[in-house]
Amino acid sequence: MSELKEMDPELGREVGIGVIDGELKKLWDEDEARTNASLVNVAIYSEEAGSLRRNSKIIAKITRDHACRALLIELDRLAAEPSIRAWITAHCHLSGGQKAVCCEQIAFELKGRSRGRLRNTVFAHLASDLPLIFWWQGELSNLFEESLYSLIDRFIFDSSDWLADSLASFERIELAVSDSLRQLVVQDLAWTRTYHYRLAVAGLFDSPQAQAALAQIASLKVVAHPQHRMSALQLVAWLSTQAQWSLVGVERATALETLRFAHKSGAEVCVAISYVESSAPLGSLEMDGGNMQLRVWRDPGKRHLFHQLVAGEVHLEGVSPADSDEDADLIGDQLARGGKNSLYRRMLPRFLELLRF
Amino acid sequence: MTNPFREDLVSRSRAEACTVVIFGATGDLTHRKLVPALYNLAVDGELPPGVKIIGFARRDWTDEKFRAGLEELNRKVSRNAHDDQVWAAFSESIHFHQSEFQDEMGYRALAERLDAIDAERGGRGNRLFYIASAPEYFDDILKHLKGAGLNQAAEGCWARVIVEKPFGKDLKSAQHLNEVVSHTFAEKDTYRIDHYLGKETAQNLMVLRFSNAIFEPLWNNRYIDHVQITCAENLGMEGGRGGYYDTAGALRDMVQNHLLQLLSLVAMEPPTDLGADGVRDEKVKVIRSLRQWDTPEKVAANVVRAQYTAGFVDGRPVVGYREEDRVNPQSNTEAYVALRIMVDTWRWSGVPFYMRMGKQLPKKATEISIHFKAAPTVLFNAIPGGTPGGNVLVIRIQPDEGISLRMVSKLPGTALRLEPVKMDFHYASSFGKGSPEAYERLLLDAMAGDATLFARRDEVEEAWRFIDHIEQAWHASETPPPMAEFVAGTWGPKEAGDLLRETGHSWRRL
Repeated sequence: MSELKEMDPELGREVGIGVIDGELKKLWDEDEARTNASLVNVAIYSEEAGSLRRNSKIIAKITRDHACRALLIELDRLAAEPSIRAWITAHCHLSGGQKAVCCEQIAFELKGRSRGRLRNTVFAHLASDLPLIFWWQGELSNLFEESLYSLIDRFIFDSSDWLADSLASFERIELAVSDSLRQLVVQDLAWTRTYHYRLAVAGLFDSPQAQAALAQIASLKVVAHPQHRMSALQLVAWLSTQAQWSLVGVERATALETLRFAHKSGAEVCVAISYVESSAPLGSLEMDGGNMQLRVWRDPGKRHLFHQLVAGEVHLEGVSPADSDEDADLIGDQLARGGKNSLYRRMLPRFLELLRF
Repeated sequence: MTNPFREDLVSRSRAEACTVVIFGATGDLTHRKLVPALYNLAVDGELPPGVKIIGFARRDWTDEKFRAGLEELNRKVSRNAHDDQVWAAFSESIHFHQSEFQDEMGYRALAERLDAIDAERGGRGNRLFYIASAPEYFDDILKHLKGAGLNQAAEGCWARVIVEKPFGKDLKSAQHLNEVVSHTFAEKDTYRIDHYLGKETAQNLMVLRFSNAIFEPLWNNRYIDHVQITCAENLGMEGGRGGYYDTAGALRDMVQNHLLQLLSLVAMEPPTDLGADGVRDEKVKVIRSLRQWDTPEKVAANVVRAQYTAGFVDGRPVVGYREEDRVNPQSNTEAYVALRIMVDTWRWSGVPFYMRMGKQLPKKATEISIHFKAAPTVLFNAIPGGTPGGNVLVIRIQPDEGISLRMVSKLPGTALRLEPVKMDFHYASSFGKGSPEAYERLLLDAMAGDATLFARRDEVEEAWRFIDHIEQAWHASETPPPMAEFVAGTWGPKEAGDLLRETGHSWRRL
C-alpha cells in the first residue's frame, strides 16, 4: 500500500517514515536536468509550533550558497500521544543561470515524548560521511545531552534567544564542549553578529598611533538593541580579553550597564553599554583615551559599518560590511568561515564572568 | 608592537594599509580589473583602513573625472553590486596624478603627494606601485621611481612593485627588465603578477595534491601516462588586440607565463612549507627541468604552430588570422600552439606533458587533465569493445571551475560491458558564493607581503630560456618548422593531433 500523502506548499510531499529514502530518489527521477549537491548536513531543531515552514524558508536561502542535506525538526514535547510525520522537498536554484542545483530537505514533526527518536529515526537520514551542523533554536532543553551532541560536528545556537537562565545554558554548552569526543565546535549567533565590528576594530588598531593609545583608553561606549545584549557583552568581553583588562565591577540599570575594568597599570576603563530600541543590533562602539578617539557605527537598517579613527594627526575613515540581521545569512557566513572558533572559546570565560557578576 | 585585536581573527596574511599607485591608470586594466578588485575588497571588509589609490597617467584628468570613469565601469563589472553609499566613501580615497612617464618632475610631485597622504595616515608610508602601463614604459617608470627616492621605504614601512605581463618578450629582454627592477626594488619587494595563479582552482591544485592521501602516491611516472593542459579561447583579435598579439603570439602570450605556471604546480615536488620561497623553489625546479627543444629539428618534432583560417565560431562567421584587424597579412605569428613537454625529473621521467593553446577554438576552456595508466586488462581482454581507457582526473580552471574523475564501470545488464563514468565536482554547485576575482586575492597578497602566488625572477627567466629556443627555431633558423593551418571553430590543426598520435595518445575532447 502506498504511503504517499498530501503536498504542503512549503514543506513538499508528506511521506511515510519508512519510505523517505525511496521518495527522495523519486524527486531526482522526475527531472534529470537537476543536480543534487550537498557538502554538509544541516539540521535545524525547534520546539516552537510552526517552525518547520519558517525554517524551510531559511534553508532555501542557505542552500543558495551552501549545498547541504537539510533536516528540519519540530518537537511538541507536551503532546499527549507520541507521533511523527515527515515531508520531503528539494530547494533548487539556477547555477550560472543554466543548471538547477538542488538540495534535499526532510522535515520531521515530532509529538510527545519518545526516547531516542531523534537519534534513531531522524538522524538515520543524514547524508553519510558529511559533517553535521546542528542549529538549536530557542532555549536549551533537556534534550541537549551527550547522546545528541556526540553526533554533532558544529552546534549553532543563539544566546540572544535565551531569556530564562542564560548562565546555566552556557555552562551546559561548556560541559558539552569539554565532554565531547568529536571536538564539538560551538557557534553562538550572538557572537557571529559581532564579527564585522571586531574586524573593524582590529583594522583601526593596525595604526601604530591607535596601538600606542591602547594602554591609556579610559572609556568605551557601546550602543546596542535591547534584544542583543549578549552580542554587546561578548563584544566587550572580547575587547577586554584581548586588551588584557581585568574586571573590577558591574552596575546594572534598566537600559544601561556600567562595567569597570582596569588596565595592567591599574588605570580604570569605564565601559558603558546602552540599550536603545531604535538601535541596530550593535549600533556603535566608541573608545576614547590617550589622545585617540575611535568610532565604529552602523545606522539602523544599513548594510555597512562606518569607522573613524582620530589619533593626533592621524585621521582615518572607512567602510566595511555589517553583519546581517538575517539568521540565514549569519549561518551562511559561519559555514563559509568554518574554523574551530578558538577566539570564542578564549572570550568565553570573561563573558561568563560578566554574566555572573 | 602587535595589534592584540588581530589575534585569530582572520586566517590569512594581514594586508597592511598603503597607497596604491597605478601607472597606466587610464587604461582598461585599471578600470575593468584593478579598481573594481579594490572596491570589492572594500565591500567585503578586506581592504585595510587608510588605503589610498593614486592613478598615474599622461592625460589631463582631474580626480573627479578619473573617479567618474571608474564608477561607470565599476557599475558594469564589479563582482559585488555597486553600492552608491560604499562607492562614495571608497572613491574619496581615489586620486589622479597627471604626468608623463618620462617626466622626472612628475615623480617628484608624486613623492610629495605620497608624503602628504602618509602624514594624514599617521606616517605609515607603505607604497604599492602597480605598473600596468605598456611594456615600453617599464624602464622609464622604474628609473624615475628610483630617482625620486620612491623605491626606498621609510623606517618600518615598505615599498613594493607589481609588474604586469608581458615580463619581457624573450630571455634577453626579461633579464634586462629584471636588472632594471632589481636596481630599483629588492626581489622580495617585486611581485610579477600572473592572474592565473590567483584563480581558485589553481590555488586548489596544491590542496588537491597534498591534502588528499589518495592522489599523491599515484602522482608519478609509475601511474600517470601523460598530462594535458588546454587553454582554449573562442575569440580572435576583437577590440584591436591584434596589434599586440601579432607581435607576441600564443607561445609568448600564454605559454611562457600562465601555462608553464600551471604545469609547474602540477609537476612540482611537495614544498617544505607554504611560504613564498618554499613553493617557488619547487616550481622553479620544474621549469629548470624542462627538456630543451634547442634545435629546429627538435622543435619541429615536439611543437606545432598554426594560424586559423576563416570559419565559424559559436555559429558566427569569423575571418582568418591574417585577415584580422591590425594583423600583418603576411604574419608569421602563431595563434595556436601545441607542445610536447618532457620534465626530466625522477618523478616525471618518460611522462609527456601536452599543452595546447589557441584562439578561435570551439569554446572557452582552461583545463588540466591527468591521464592515468590503464589497469592490467587480463580480466577483461575478451570483452567486446575492450576496456574504455584509463582514469582521467580533470581540473577545470575556467569557466565552471571544478574537478572530475573518470573511471570505468560495468554497464547494468547480464552481459559484462564496461563504460566510462564521471564523478564531478563543480565549485559553483557546491559553493554558491562566488570566488573573489584573481586580482582581489593577488592585490591583497601584495599588501600583505605574501609573494607565493607571484612569479620569481628565476622562474620567469627559466621559462623564457625554454621558450626562446622555440621562438628562435621559428623565426631565426634557416629551416623553420612550418606554420600549420586550421579552420576557425575546430580544435586545431591535424598536425597537433599527429603530435599525440605518435605516442598512442589523443587530445581530450572538451
